[in-house]
Amino acid sequence: MSNFEQFHFDFYQSNYTIDDQEEGYNSYGSNENLCGSRKSQTGEQPPASAFAPSEMLLSSQNYTGQILQPTYTPNTLSHLSYADGFDEEPPLLEELGINFEHIWQKTLTVLNPMKPADGSIMNETDLTGPMVFCLALGATLLLAGKVHFGYVYGMSAIGCLAMHALLNLMSVPGVSHGCVASVLGYCLLPMVILSSSAVVFSLQGILGTLLALFIIGWCSFSASKIFSSALAMEGQQLLIAYPCALLYGLFALLTVF
Amino acid sequence: QMWQAGKRQASRAFSLYANIDILRPYFDVEPVQVRARLLESMIPVKMINFPQKIAGELYGPLMLVFTLVAILLHGMKTSDTIIREGTLMGTAIGTCFGYWLGVSSFIYFLAYLCNAQITMVQMLSLLGYGLFGHCITLFVTYNIHFHSLFYIFWLGVGGLSTLRMVAVLVSRTVGHTQRLILCGTLAALHMLFLLYLHFAYHKVVEGILDTLEGPNVPPFQRVARDIPVVPNAVLNTTAKAVALTL
Repeated sequence: MSNFEQFHFDFYQSNYTIDDQEEGYNSYGSNENLCGSRKSQTGEQPPASAFAPSEMLLSSQNYTGQILQPTYTPNTLSHLSYADGFDEEPPLLEELGINFEHIWQKTLTVLNPMKPADGSIMNETDLTGPMVFCLALGATLLLAGKVHFGYVYGMSAIGCLAMHALLNLMSVPGVSHGCVASVLGYCLLPMVILSSSAVVFSLQGILGTLLALFIIGWCSFSASKIFSSALAMEGQQLLIAYPCALLYGLFALLTVF
Repeated sequence: QMWQAGKRQASRAFSLYANIDILRPYFDVEPVQVRARLLESMIPVKMINFPQKIAGELYGPLMLVFTLVAILLHGMKTSDTIIREGTLMGTAIGTCFGYWLGVSSFIYFLAYLCNAQITMVQMLSLLGYGLFGHCITLFVTYNIHFHSLFYIFWLGVGGLSTLRMVAVLVSRTVGHTQRLILCGTLAALHMLFLLYLHFAYHKVVEGILDTLEGPNVPPFQRVARDIPVVPNAVLNTTAKAVALTL
C-alpha cells in the first residue's frame, strides 16, 4: 500500500508537467528535459491532495506512456529515411551546385580574352571557381613569403560591393551581387599567374612593372568583356574596364610589394 | 511572422533612403565624352562673360579620385612610407575623398554666400575633373625624383587646371569681390593640395626632409629604402640630359 501510495505520489508530481508536456508535444527532445527538470523541481510537493485527481492518474499513465515513445520514433524514422533516400539522393557535386564543365568553360573564356564571350554563361551564380582562385592567389603569395590572406579577402569583398554599385548605376538591367562576385573572381586567374612568377623572381624592377601592367590589362579586359556582353553595354566596355583595372591594380600592388 | 514584418519594414526603409537610383543619370556617359571632358579640364576658357556649361557627371570625377588614390598608394609603397596610426590604404582614401568632398562642399557654401550659379553636383564634377592635373603631376614626379621638375609641373599642369576651374567660376559669378573670394580660395586650396601630396607621401631627397618638414615627423616616419638603384638612376640621368640639351 505504501509502495502504491509512493507510486501515486510520483504520478501526482508528474501531473504538473503534463499540461506543459501537452503543449510541447511536438518538441520531442526538449520534452524529456522538461520532464526531468520539472520532476526535480516539483519533488517537494505536499502530498495533501494526492488522492484527488484519481482519473488524472490514468490519463497521466497514458500520457507518460505516449510521451516517452515519440522521443525514440523520430530518430528511428529519420534513420529509415536516410537509408531509403541514399539511393535516390542526387550526387554530391550536383547538390552543391558545382559543375566542372561550366567552371572549365568560364576559365577558358577568361584565359582567352580575344574570344567573344557568351553572355549567358554568367547567368548562374557560381562561387566555387572564384573561391578556388582566391585561395590559389593566397597560396602563391604565401609561397613568396607574404601572408596576406586577409587583405585578399577584404579587397575582393569591398571591390565586389563597389563594382556592384557602379554596374547597377551604369546598366539598365541590374546585376546581382553573386554575378559580380563570380565574374571578378574568375578574372583573378591571371593575377595568380603574376603572383606565382613573383615566387621565382622579384617583381620590383622594370620587367616586373611591365609584367604587372600587362596582367592588369589582361584581367580588366576579360572582366569588362564579360560584363559588357552580359549586361548589353557594348559602347561602355572601356568605362567598365577602368574601374576593374583599378581594382586589379590594387591586387597587383599587393603582389609586387 | 514578426521577422517577416520586420524584414518588410527594413527593406522599405532601405529602398527609400538608400535609393541609389537617384544617382543613375549622373553615370550615363560614353567613353568619348569622358575623354573629351578630361582634355577640356586642362584648357582654360576665354569667355568669362557668358556662364560656361558644366557637365554634371559623376563617373569621371569618381574614377579620377580613385586613380589619385592608386597613384598615392603606389608612391607610398615605392618610398616605403610607414604610417603609424592607421593604414596606407585608409590614409590614401581618406585624403583623396576628404579633399574632393570637403573642398567641394566648402566652395559650394562659399558660392552660396557669393551668389554664384552652381549646383553641388556641378561643383563636385568640376573639382573632380580638376584632379586630372594632380594625377598627371604626381604620376610623373613620383617616378622621376627631380624637384625642379616637380615645381615646373606644379605651376604648369596644376596651374592650367586651376585656371580652368577659376575661369568657369568667374563666368558664373557677378561682382568683383565675390569673384576674388571664391576663386582665390579655390586656387589656393587646389595648388596647396598638390604641394602637400607631393611632399607628404614620397621619398624626399635627404636634407630636404629635415629642413622643410621637421615638426611633421611624428605622424609618420620614413625608413631608408633599398630598392634597386639602377632604374631610378637611369631615369634621373635621362631627365638631366634632357634638361641640359634644352
